[in-house]
Amino acid sequence: MSVHTLRVDWPSCQAHGLCAEILPEIVSLDQWGYPIVHEPVSGQVLDMARNAVKACPTLALRLTQASKRH
Amino acid sequence: MTAVTTVLPISPQGSPASATAPLRLVRSEARMDPVVTQGPALLAGITAGPGLEAHRHRVGPAARPSADELAGWARAVDLRGRGGAGFPAAIKLVSAHRRRAVVVVNAAEGEPASRKDAALMALAPHVVLDGAAAVAHGLGTREVHVVVPSELPSVRAGVAEALRERVCAGERVKWQLHDAAARFVAGQASAVLELLAGRENLPVTTWEPATISGHRRRPTLLSNAETYAQLGHLARVGPHGYAAHGTAAEPGTTLVTLRGDGWDPSVREVAYGTPLADILTRSEMGQPLLLGGYHGTWLKPAQMQALALSRADIAEAGATLGAGVLLPLTAGWCPLVRTEALVDYLARQSARRCGPCRNGLPALAGALGDLVHRGGRVGPVAELCGLVAGRGACAHPDGTARLVTSMLTRFPEEVDLHSLGECRGGGQEVFG
Amino acid sequence: MIDSLLSPAGPTSFMNGPQLWFANRGTGFVLLLLLTLATMLGVLSTARMSPRRWPRMLTQGLHRNVSMLAVTFLAAHVATAVADTFVDIAWYNAFVPGTGTYKPLWLGLGALGLDLLIAVTATSLLRHRMSHRPWRAIHAAAYAAWGLGLVHGLQMGTDAGSPWGAALNYGCIAVVLAAVLARLGLLLRPKLVTS
Repeated sequence: MSVHTLRVDWPSCQAHGLCAEILPEIVSLDQWGYPIVHEPVSGQVLDMARNAVKACPTLALRLTQASKRH
Repeated sequence: MTAVTTVLPISPQGSPASATAPLRLVRSEARMDPVVTQGPALLAGITAGPGLEAHRHRVGPAARPSADELAGWARAVDLRGRGGAGFPAAIKLVSAHRRRAVVVVNAAEGEPASRKDAALMALAPHVVLDGAAAVAHGLGTREVHVVVPSELPSVRAGVAEALRERVCAGERVKWQLHDAAARFVAGQASAVLELLAGRENLPVTTWEPATISGHRRRPTLLSNAETYAQLGHLARVGPHGYAAHGTAAEPGTTLVTLRGDGWDPSVREVAYGTPLADILTRSEMGQPLLLGGYHGTWLKPAQMQALALSRADIAEAGATLGAGVLLPLTAGWCPLVRTEALVDYLARQSARRCGPCRNGLPALAGALGDLVHRGGRVGPVAELCGLVAGRGACAHPDGTARLVTSMLTRFPEEVDLHSLGECRGGGQEVFG
Repeated sequence: MIDSLLSPAGPTSFMNGPQLWFANRGTGFVLLLLLTLATMLGVLSTARMSPRRWPRMLTQGLHRNVSMLAVTFLAAHVATAVADTFVDIAWYNAFVPGTGTYKPLWLGLGALGLDLLIAVTATSLLRHRMSHRPWRAIHAAAYAAWGLGLVHGLQMGTDAGSPWGAALNYGCIAVVLAAVLARLGLLLRPKLVTS
């Protein structure tokens, strides 16, 4: 089972909040409306994560394979 | 063994940054010129002037090791980047060793308390440029970009002159000079790459390391100016010569800036393993020390007594050397007041591109201000630290959170006092 | 009407009769309504409201679905105009502005609107294959397409003269204007700091 990370392109994110609606299991919003990604994405949540990536109005989400930050 | 040089002028002529956001951290708007002391390796030739002829006379012709050789030597001496992150230079060299590589010398030095890169570029530019040329030759490229701070025109002029000298001497490198914006985040890696691409000098999200896909999607070796100076020195003297200074576990020297944003800043070349007591004055050893600059961590005098300038020692003490910035707290002043002033500055230096930083840092500054000046609680401060870290395109919010967290960890008694509305120290009239 | 359908001439008289022309006008009006609704939903999608009871996904989903429906009606509107022989409109008149013989200027505005909507639709279907800023710039042309369609409808048809036709047009203008003003009003709120 591959583990992916949902990464946010912060300069693009405009706090529309669709990701938190689609992925409430992993994403919550801070007091300014920006997403907090709590865990890596795996298994059942992967499909919904892909939907969240497609739904983001500013294309600010990416699913990456590597689990570490640059 | 070290001779103190005269103060060499590398001061800004009208710093644009001070016009918009006056630094409340120094007593005057203008930045003081640092005293730069002659050193054993990188700063060995500063008394002879910055010219190419004097440099060649001292060190001989430029070294030309292969990339593999240089990477091997860098691994042997565990050479780390000097820009603050301390990334192993060998890994970057190997990773960037592909077709059509690009070399970027980052002397932007956005942090006000760090003066070492400016000192290097002004007083020993060819030490840096020899290293950059050696790396470029090893990687099989001729394209080298040099990024200097725009608020130091005398430094820029010096670097331009140094590049001219090298071109006239027949060096086959295509040098390009760039001016970084006068702000804190301008020296951040992705911000520098944006500058090179002709866009605004601000950070963007990095999806791949620069060595994989950097400038124009080419393998890009972007490193701090001092890192290139270290590589150049290593290329010339080899690992054994390099280990003439420092310790067996940590060979070599590093440049440190003392009191960089204060009355009497100085830049020194210090061998790894040098005790802190040999670097700071007796009075300073009795004061808390902010190590690593504005994104650094606090150390208490008790921790400092036996501490040496060693990466391992410092890590064990729960701190990092960062870009070699040492900021001893002025005697009698309060570390909380100092930290709050720094966070206020850092919040204003946000690039304002990322929501959590644009909103979170001012909120953190506000909550910290409440804690320090208005008897506020620790809870909101700690919560905001957790909220801003890791949620931005660059490490600016992370570094700010690190500074605040270290303040809370090191000075719990002062924090308690402030929550009761009292303060043991002073400095309010300067910072508050 | 049914007599002409059942006459021995069959399809020819169907095309000669008024049915296609009615269909064209009908699709035109529905198209205006759908485009207005799609534009309103698009404007609301960009607004950063924090709806407790109304999911953001719903606004975005409706915008997409209404837009696709509008495109379908646009295709029908063009097809009926071209097929109908009462007025001479060739297929390429629908895509190349100014080439028509019947009311070339106003027909041309419609053709221009169609071209813009083709660009908007194509880029939206391929949104993930392109970077966001160019997509957004092209998508902004949807506003122009809506405006062009409105003026095209006002000038091409006779229904706009009638009271209900005029009311429809004014209503559509009002809806889009209201959505844009609401969005600007939300922008001016200092509560949330956006770039």
